[in-house]
Amino acid sequence: MQLQLQQLLPVYFEESRKASSEVWGKNLTFSKGEMIKIVAPSGSGKTSLMHFMYGMRKEYTGVVKYGDKNISRFNAEDFALHRSHHISIVFQDLRLFPEQTVQENLEIKRQLNPYHSKEKIQYMASRLGIGDKLHSKARICSYGEQQRVAIIRSLLQPFDFLLLDEPFSHLDTENSQKAMELMLEESRERNACIVFADLERIDYFPFTRLFHL
Amino acid sequence: MPLTYKTIKPLLLTGTNAASRWFSYIGLGIGVLLLLSSLQMFFNIQSLLKKTSIRKNGFDYVSVTKLITNDNMGQDNRFGPADVEELKQQPFIEDAAPLLSNKFEVVASGGEVIPFSSDIFIEALDHRFIDTVPPSFTWSEGQMVVPVIFSSDFLEMYNVFAPSYGLRQVSTATAGNLNITLRCEGKLGQQTFRANIVAFSDRVNSVLVPASFLSWANKTLEGVDDTKASRVFIKTKDANSNDLLGFLEQKHYRVNKDKTAFGRSKQILQGIITGLGVFGILVIVLALMLFSFYLQLVIARSKDSLQLLLTLGYSPSWLSKNVARQFIPVYILVVLFALLLTQGMQWLFHHFVMYDRPELSSFLHWSILVIALLLIILSVITNFRMVRKLLFRFY
Repeated sequence: MQLQLQQLLPVYFEESRKASSEVWGKNLTFSKGEMIKIVAPSGSGKTSLMHFMYGMRKEYTGVVKYGDKNISRFNAEDFALHRSHHISIVFQDLRLFPEQTVQENLEIKRQLNPYHSKEKIQYMASRLGIGDKLHSKARICSYGEQQRVAIIRSLLQPFDFLLLDEPFSHLDTENSQKAMELMLEESRERNACIVFADLERIDYFPFTRLFHL
Repeated sequence: MPLTYKTIKPLLLTGTNAASRWFSYIGLGIGVLLLLSSLQMFFNIQSLLKKTSIRKNGFDYVSVTKLITNDNMGQDNRFGPADVEELKQQPFIEDAAPLLSNKFEVVASGGEVIPFSSDIFIEALDHRFIDTVPPSFTWSEGQMVVPVIFSSDFLEMYNVFAPSYGLRQVSTATAGNLNITLRCEGKLGQQTFRANIVAFSDRVNSVLVPASFLSWANKTLEGVDDTKASRVFIKTKDANSNDLLGFLEQKHYRVNKDKTAFGRSKQILQGIITGLGVFGILVIVLALMLFSFYLQLVIARSKDSLQLLLTLGYSPSWLSKNVARQFIPVYILVVLFALLLTQGMQWLFHHFVMYDRPELSSFLHWSILVIALLLIILSVITNFRMVRKLLFRFY
């Protein structure tokens, strides 16, 4: 399965961006098993790119294809199926349910299309150092803890592509490495492709291709 | 474990704005109550009027006479065969038949039980117009006993004045055993018969004898073979229809007013009840609108959570089905409550207002239950479509 970007450019960007970017206005194909690193300074459209690939926003010209299907033609039900079976994401702004506990936040995603057992949630949480936070409400967890919840949530479903939008912005190096290891393991298990967008290069992400946005 | 709504349920903020929720529940309850009780009243009226109604098989039977005015007094104001045929031709008249009357004198006396005699008139009418025709209502030449169908109203009238004349009152059961003699006298002769009341008619205000007897007696005793009639009986879908009344007025015919006035008051009563029912429907629509505002409010307040669920990959169809399902028990409870109240009101009405009259039942008409079920289905479908529409807006 492949994810293709064809001449993609946000409508709010000028055409000149195409010349300076390795992603905007180019034809790119990401395949399963690949590790894609996208280095992007602030304001270069990193989050926009992630949202376009996830199908959350449509303010772009060009085409995003999943397999041979143009995702802009997906309807609401197609997206529901797509997001629960083929593509997962860690949002930069985390997007947790603040009034629900960590456990509930994870269960809401897990039950949608269970890839792991309930017990695996406890294992993953312990591995990332938030094992004792499962029963705390998400809103009272620190940003770092919430970020780890969002990372675990993205790993509870089957996927071909895992999109990471600055996933370690609130984590120290040690915790970031632990989280990266877990994501790599989970992706290898599924032979999935990781598309990792961040402000700078990170040494512990073994990318196969690197793009500057 | 399959996908469950339990984990999602707390995300829907239903607890807020309880007042508007209760207003819509109460509004819906009142609307359903109004509709169900008006319908039940409609059925009550139908049952109560059925017994005394002149309608039979959905038809009205009324007698028509020619209007006697100062101008036509003294003329022959009877209906000829052509007049009857003209009546039959009208689209709003199903059938018509003349009421043939005696052309000779008839004196009836009650014998020992009722020592009373009076000049009377006798008439004959086609059997298909008479509501009660027993098999014994036939006469052939030589038969000395004449079967008679007597008007129930006449018997009632007799029973009213009988005590003041020192006469015995008569029940319908004993009337059949009365020893009545009919003395018939015309210019060609005189003959006495014994009359036997074989039935009572609610529809025809007359003393009916078999047509064979009347034409024999007219011919034998008076020497006439006249087919003209003073009255014509008509069968119509609606005795109060404007077409019929307009036609009769134009022909200067007069219709038996009692019967149509009775039909008219029934119509007015049913009109009022129908009006109440329509009002009930309006209240239901209003309540459903109120409920839709409440739903919009709930969904707007839960917008972020619902939107995030869709972003995470929840199916909008599954979500709307499950959100809508939360309100089904409420709808069922509201309609059931209104149904129970209607049942209570019907019991009180039957017991205390109608004093347990046998024509009515203390229980609801079966169609009220069907309507209640339909209302539940309607509310559930409306609710589902509304939630679905609101949720798909987030996508």
